[in-house]
Amino acid sequence: MLLEFLGVAALLFGLFFCAVGVLGVIRMPDSLTRLHASGKVATLGLFGLLLGAALLMPSTWLRLLALGLFVLLTSPVATHAIAASVYRRHEIVGELAESADPAEATDYTAVDVTAVLSRSRIQDIIDAQERALRHHAPDAKSKRDT
Amino acid sequence: MTDNSIVQAAIQLILLALVSLLIPASYRVIVGPTLPDRLQAVDLITTLLIGIIVMLALVEGTENFVDMAIALAAFAFIGTISIARYISEGRVF
Repeated sequence: MLLEFLGVAALLFGLFFCAVGVLGVIRMPDSLTRLHASGKVATLGLFGLLLGAALLMPSTWLRLLALGLFVLLTSPVATHAIAASVYRRHEIVGELAESADPAEATDYTAVDVTAVLSRSRIQDIIDAQERALRHHAPDAKSKRDT
Repeated sequence: MTDNSIVQAAIQLILLALVSLLIPASYRVIVGPTLPDRLQAVDLITTLLIGIIVMLALVEGTENFVDMAIALAAFAFIGTISIARYISEGRVF
């Protein structure tokens, strides 16, 4: 009886946060704040429902735990992908748009070779390659001569 | 599953409320000004559907419905990731 009461309470908790998240998705002003609201549904709302179901139907708690862990892993990744698509399409509005300019963002994937290797190290590599060429060149030249 | 009729009625009412939450969530799919907004609303609807399937398992007393919820979560993740990549990069792979 107590277990059933706790289960229904957890279900009502999850339903409350689902309603709050849907309300936030409708009422929030721009895309990134709407993402914040829909994250509430994925974590608090769904986890409340899963906890209530596990309390009301105890034999299936392991599957519900697996579902909860899976949602806990994938929901932030999906939210980040959507936020990155908002960012790349230059659709950030409001005061955040002044500080976030995708055109001037630092491209961390492009590695500048001259910054990694110092100038003398590059000169060393060039010298070594020239030495190797000089070592191989007479051999090829002699083959061509004969 | 449970014998108590009050608990069963409460579960059915919560399931009804969750299903009725789908209608305001689809507002953002229809109206949403940009493409990422619609994608995010579809993701929200899928999350609500996972909760609805779990509640349906409670109402029917069928444990196998939870497996359907896990499969829906997996496919919804793949779909959301690929469409978000398509929106941001112009290609999926």
